[in-house]
Amino acid sequence: MAIELKISEVKMSAEQSGKWGMVIDQDICTGCQACVAACAMENNISFVGEVDSGYGRSMHWIRIERFWEGEYPEVKMTANQPMLCQQCGHATCEPVCPAFATVHSQAEQLNLQVYNRCVGTRYCANNCPYQVRAFNWRDYKRPEPLSNQLNPDVTVRRVGVMEKCTFCIQRIHKAQDVAKSEGREVVDGEFTTACAQACPANAITFGRVDDPESLVSQLMKQSHGVKHLEELGTLPNVTYFKGG
Amino acid sequence: MTEPKAVDLLAVFPDLEPAANAIEHLRSIGVHDECMNVISGIPVTEAMLGRPHQWTNVPRIAMGGAMLGFGAGFFLAYITPYVYPYPIQVSTQSFIPGPPTVVVLFELTMLGMLLSTFLGVFLDSFFPNYRPMKYVPEVSDGKIAILVECSHIEEQKVTDVLKKMGAESVKPAEAQHL
Amino acid sequence: MSDNKHHAGHSHEEHLREKHLMLDPLPRGQMNDMVMESMLEKPTWKFWVVVGFLSFIVVYFLFFKWGVLIAKGQGEAGVMRPDYWGIFLVNTVFWIGISHAGTFISAILRVFRAEFRRPFTRAAELMTTFGLVQAGFSIFMHMGRVWLAYWLMPYPNQRMLWPNLHSPLTWDLLAITTYLLSSTMYLFLPLIPDVAMARDRSTGWRKTFYKTLALGFRGTEGEWTHLRNAMNIFAFAIIPVMFSVHTIVSWDFAAATRPGWSSTIFGPYFIVGALHSGMGAAVAVLAVIRGTMKHMKYFIRGEHFDAIGKLMLIISMAWAYFFFNDYMVQWYGGDKWTQQLLHFHEAGPMGWMWFAMLVCNIVIPWAILWNPKWRATPWLVATVGIIINFGMWFERYIIIPISVTINRMPFTWRLYKPGIEVPMGIGTLALFILLYMIASKLIPLIPVWEVQEGQMAHELKKFGRETVVSVSELE
Repeated sequence: MAIELKISEVKMSAEQSGKWGMVIDQDICTGCQACVAACAMENNISFVGEVDSGYGRSMHWIRIERFWEGEYPEVKMTANQPMLCQQCGHATCEPVCPAFATVHSQAEQLNLQVYNRCVGTRYCANNCPYQVRAFNWRDYKRPEPLSNQLNPDVTVRRVGVMEKCTFCIQRIHKAQDVAKSEGREVVDGEFTTACAQACPANAITFGRVDDPESLVSQLMKQSHGVKHLEELGTLPNVTYFKGG
Repeated sequence: MTEPKAVDLLAVFPDLEPAANAIEHLRSIGVHDECMNVISGIPVTEAMLGRPHQWTNVPRIAMGGAMLGFGAGFFLAYITPYVYPYPIQVSTQSFIPGPPTVVVLFELTMLGMLLSTFLGVFLDSFFPNYRPMKYVPEVSDGKIAILVECSHIEEQKVTDVLKKMGAESVKPAEAQHL
Repeated sequence: MSDNKHHAGHSHEEHLREKHLMLDPLPRGQMNDMVMESMLEKPTWKFWVVVGFLSFIVVYFLFFKWGVLIAKGQGEAGVMRPDYWGIFLVNTVFWIGISHAGTFISAILRVFRAEFRRPFTRAAELMTTFGLVQAGFSIFMHMGRVWLAYWLMPYPNQRMLWPNLHSPLTWDLLAITTYLLSSTMYLFLPLIPDVAMARDRSTGWRKTFYKTLALGFRGTEGEWTHLRNAMNIFAFAIIPVMFSVHTIVSWDFAAATRPGWSSTIFGPYFIVGALHSGMGAAVAVLAVIRGTMKHMKYFIRGEHFDAIGKLMLIISMAWAYFFFNDYMVQWYGGDKWTQQLLHFHEAGPMGWMWFAMLVCNIVIPWAILWNPKWRATPWLVATVGIIINFGMWFERYIIIPISVTINRMPFTWRLYKPGIEVPMGIGTLALFILLYMIASKLIPLIPVWEVQEGQMAHELKKFGRETVVSVSELE
């Protein structure tokens, strides 16, 4: 009886593990930062500048982590690791916000960040094991001509607000609206996130993980896929390929 | 009861012992306990003075406040999640989280209880009260004052008893601004 | 005090009276005059210089810098990824810790009828209230959009937005609000008879001030009964509130998914830490009061420092126990991130702070407070108290900005460099001292009626040849 209950709970959490997902192939990532730039353009990310960026205040929603092994001069680079919000099914960032500024979307199974509810306690960022949340430490000025290219579909955030990767939810909604107006379902590959779109090596694949036929689902089934810090029980929705 | 005019006498005693004796004697000459009041600079218990038990509503008010506080906590913990136009899900935690509700109920119960205890002192003692009152400042120097309400006829008798029992002064009490 | 009895115990008796305030009674009127004089004594120019200096610090470092922080954003402070939490929260925990001493002294010691508490319950309670004010300031400084702080309060609103009761920060808000309100009320209730006393002995604006505060208290049987009952309820009820406050503060950390923080022992560990710093601060404040205010050498004596010193020693041992317990289990767990963190604590760039914490919190108190003579020396115990406060501030600094440096994403590791939070933190300290100095001139710091009550209850009793102190329970 008790065991049965446990199994049903496990099933439930497996079901909760998402609707949208991403696969990142670290073996073919060149570390070119195109995804970082594309994400910043798509999502109106502030231009932080050298000084603050150098002090750990860069505001990228996706970052390329570079590591090396060994001591200089015998240094060996390891695979680049693009890191972004893992859109956890069991997110540690969500329950700790006192103002309900970061909540779970029932419809899209994503972690939402509600900018205008955020009061800036920064507890969510502290509690994110992936450290992928970006805080608006200041009102950063957008240098010309970047100030002329804001994406009208995305809110511009101001000082004191937390933000993070949304899996380009504005693109998800746009695709859903188009499909709905044409009376059909969203087709796999019809749209993708800015980072996946910009990746010249095609290292990022985005799509429905609850559709077994989609490319991302097919890729996820490969045996060398890993999820980061899965042992914490966060149910991340991004799968990484490394050394395949 | 129907005396047209009663007089308040205020006797100041240097210590607890003579004051307690005086109260006993006053009772023996027929002054009712309800017509006496003791004013002191430290908390002197009723037992020390041989006085009837003082009634206080503070504990009851505190209990009432605790219940109100618990009710407020209940509202916060169990009702407000349903007030939203749509259910708000955080992580996979249940809609109404178990252990955190205990925290909320505890804090608001205590807050209700302590606020109403404080309020209870105000209600029971008629605080704040800036009207003129019968008082002698020597009380805060450690003297014990007895306030006796008696009729004109009894005035002399009561004064004699109080003097005999060691009162430093006995005089008609006048309400004054403190 | 000395009568003409010439027996063997005479000098012993004298000695006892000299040592214990409770055995050395003065007429109430005289004690009243002493307390009034200590309060009304014309401040020297030094007092005004200190007040002016502190006011400048408060205005410039606390309020002006806060304005800068609000205008420019949290970037003015040293916080960044991964140190999203910095000195503002260190100070919040620190001040809440300081505030625990007041409740400990005036509630726990009252409940357990520890008689030595009598002269300084108010001085300790004032620390609670003023400390919580600083904690409140510190936590608001920390918020990115402090002008929206009222969103955290539960109130019906058009957005249909209620606070998230899943969040430890919401519990914190409820607990700290409860604690601030109840400790302020608990400060006020025993103060009523004393301001009534002050009202009877003052003129001019002070008369109006005390009259208003005394609420028309005369000291009738009814008033005392209501007050006694209320104080009794407060003494018992505020203890669990105090425990809950620091436990919930510890949950801010313990409930998080971080190496080094997920510890079930954080609740009691934080409470003991709070008492450690709180008692240290209390003893320092008492030494200053004793040294600077008139007649205070009568009310606050070596015996009080001795008694608090003993408590400090016990609390220091308890803190060492909890620290080691936490450390041992974290170390034994063998989690690679926790290992990294522990290594970083000890051997990292801030390792000096980790060792300084142990020296300030354990080595120095143990080395000094074991000795009864040293323990009864006010300046020495006060110095130990201040050292403990440095140690406890270090402890919170290690738990917050140093520990969050190490997380499970090594790419982000970075050492925290404080910015505007340092002057603003100094501003909270200045405001605390300033409020205390103003209060010492406005309200009677010694609860005279409680001292008199205690002196009535104490007497010397002879058992055979031995003269001993005996206390009767008046209630």
